[in-house]
Amino acid sequence: MKVVEINDVHKIYHDTEVEVRAINGVTLSFEKGEFTVIVGPSGSGKTTLLNLIGGLDQPTNGEILVAGHRLSELRPSELIDFRMEHVGFVFQSYNLIPVLTASENVGFIMSLQKWPKEKRIARTNELLGSVGLSDRGNSRPSQLSGGQQQRVAVARALATRPEFILADEPTANLDSKSAEALLDIMEKLNRDEEMTFIFSTHDAKVMKRARRIITLEDGKVVSDETRTEN
Amino acid sequence: MTNFQLAWRNLWRNKRRTMITSASVFFAVFFALLMRSFQLGAYDRLFQNVIESYTGYMQLQEKDYLDDRILDNGFFPDTSLVRKIENDPNITEVLPRLESFALAAAGSRTQGVIVMGIDPKGEDRATGLGHRLVKYRLDDSAVNSLQHQDIPARTRKLIKVFSGYSYSGTARLMADLGIDEKDSAMILPAIRKFASIRNSYLDSSDTSGILIGNGLSEYLKAGLGDTIVLIGQGYHGASAAGRYRVKGIVNLPAPDIDNRIVYLIVTAAQQLYDAPGLVTSAVICLKRNDDNSLEKTRLRIGRFIKDPLVLVPWRKLNELLVNQMEADNKSGLILIGILYLVIAFGVFGTVLMMLAERRREFGMLISIGMQKRKLAGMISLELLFVGIIGVAAGIAVSLPPVFYAHYHPIRFTGQMARMYEDYGFDPVMPTLLPGGYYLWQTVVVLVILIIAVGFSARRIFRINIINSMRT
Ligand SMILES: Nc1ncnc2c1ncn2[C@@H]1O[C@H](COP(=O)(O)OP(=O)(O)OP(=O)(O)O)[C@@H](O)[C@H]1O
Ligand SMILES: [Mg+2]
Repeated sequence: MKVVEINDVHKIYHDTEVEVRAINGVTLSFEKGEFTVIVGPSGSGKTTLLNLIGGLDQPTNGEILVAGHRLSELRPSELIDFRMEHVGFVFQSYNLIPVLTASENVGFIMSLQKWPKEKRIARTNELLGSVGLSDRGNSRPSQLSGGQQQRVAVARALATRPEFILADEPTANLDSKSAEALLDIMEKLNRDEEMTFIFSTHDAKVMKRARRIITLEDGKVVSDETRTEN
Repeated sequence: MTNFQLAWRNLWRNKRRTMITSASVFFAVFFALLMRSFQLGAYDRLFQNVIESYTGYMQLQEKDYLDDRILDNGFFPDTSLVRKIENDPNITEVLPRLESFALAAAGSRTQGVIVMGIDPKGEDRATGLGHRLVKYRLDDSAVNSLQHQDIPARTRKLIKVFSGYSYSGTARLMADLGIDEKDSAMILPAIRKFASIRNSYLDSSDTSGILIGNGLSEYLKAGLGDTIVLIGQGYHGASAAGRYRVKGIVNLPAPDIDNRIVYLIVTAAQQLYDAPGLVTSAVICLKRNDDNSLEKTRLRIGRFIKDPLVLVPWRKLNELLVNQMEADNKSGLILIGILYLVIAFGVFGTVLMMLAERRREFGMLISIGMQKRKLAGMISLELLFVGIIGVAAGIAVSLPPVFYAHYHPIRFTGQMARMYEDYGFDPVMPTLLPGGYYLWQTVVVLVILIIAVGFSARRIFRINIINSMRT
């Protein structure tokens, strides 16, 4: 089942005098249960592509379908609701709301969606357990390590059972031990729950685990390899 | 997690900023309220002085008299009307007055004066005229004699400085001459002996006695027992002239009145102007004199009062003063405007800083699905909290000093006190108790906050996620 379809997408930035073709004719699709990384040199368009898939930005040309929704047809406020329901985000940093505890951060979207309290608490505990932070629910982000914060972010992203999780360089600020722990958790979620992950990264540890590696250069896909299981 | 809780926690995230912003709102509100309270309190006291010592809260007049104060615009009050008015539950009495002009002559000097025909007892009850009689006077002979008395050198020197001054009581005298409580037993007897004057008040049947202002007495060089001749124009063009004996000298706070006033009993004035029974106004004395009671009383007795008579409330009687106060009031408002401009800048500074600092957080929140209007609501709540804490604290902290200074007004002494008195003010700085002006200022601060809220909401609606998340 396809969760994302990208059809000849272009993204041109005109912010400065020079126009930047950040994405320059990309056609791709992603299946449910993928564990995919997007790699490429700095400035090749990885972040831009993830933003387009996540509905944070609109393409200049071309079409993106996510879970059957044509993103260009959604109004800005519908797009926000769309992201809340269908997309999980894990950013490189600044993922969490500083004044909320880990539990509250995980439960944040659920409370925006007005889940009943018991259901929310149960789901929060389950998610904190699945990222190995059952005992840190009451900690504020500033009391957690970078890796723990990223794991809370993963738990939050999973909260409303999105179609897929987009993670832009999730390990960039982590030491290798924390990065491995985060990847273990994501791999496990992918394996056990068939959660779809799409990353961008420069990190060899992430690439090593990927089953599909898409390489971008100057906004174009230059290779798309799927590694067969052994 | 409600928006409310989130906003509350965000406030304590940057405690110092919250405190500084709240504190700036607090100080502005506090000082504005205090300033306003003193200013309005001063007006209130001034009007009270003028009303209670001269015009009264309401007068009955012929309708043209207010604009043209001549005898021909006087009236002959009929006793049944006066009785009806005096029957009103809020009215104590109705005092007749006949006011006109004359030339006063004593010895070789003359001066144009205000002649005020009064009911002496009633006038004393209503305006305390009897308490204004001069008791001590530091004339040349008194100053000379006192220089040879056994009194402290400092007081001796001050007696020379205040030579020529008159006093209606000892409090002011002691303040001027630097006599304190413990010395008073020693010094006051000497002063009583050499500086007392034998002043007496008018009695109701005395048609030849007059009271004159202290300033006038000095100008005419007319003392107690001296004769003064009044010459003027009588009612309907008759000529008016009369001889009177000075019975008393009164000290009046407003110099322009003190220098020109002559009191006599109303029937004597009517004789002088050849107008038996004529009055130019009748002062209506009230029990309760707040605006509300005044208006109700005016409506009640207004029913008996027929053209050409009219009731004139104090605001109209003192129109000039009211206008001056309004002009002065504007300067106070400008000062307060500046104070609020300062808060506005403070609040906007905080808002801008906060919005810049939290760009990424906002971008993240919108990315993961928080609607912009919800985010704007949260930020608005935060700002309102900060503002309301400041306003509430400002109001709370202003209350004790405002109440205290209302019941125990700051009292000036020395030069400052004299300056106040010379302009007809009591030398005190009272406050006005909290009222409409509190509400009004709270509304102004809330308007500033709402503008700041609108501004930040607008910023949030314009956030571009991609840009806010980059760097
Ligand atoms: N909002 C924007 N406005 C203008 N130009 C942009 C914007 N976002 C990205 N670009 C440009 O588009 C190109 C692609 O940028 P992008 O951030 O997608 O690269 P990236 O592959 O994620 O790089 P990195 O590995 O450094 O994160 C770059 O040249 C960048 O300068
Ligand atoms: Mg990037």
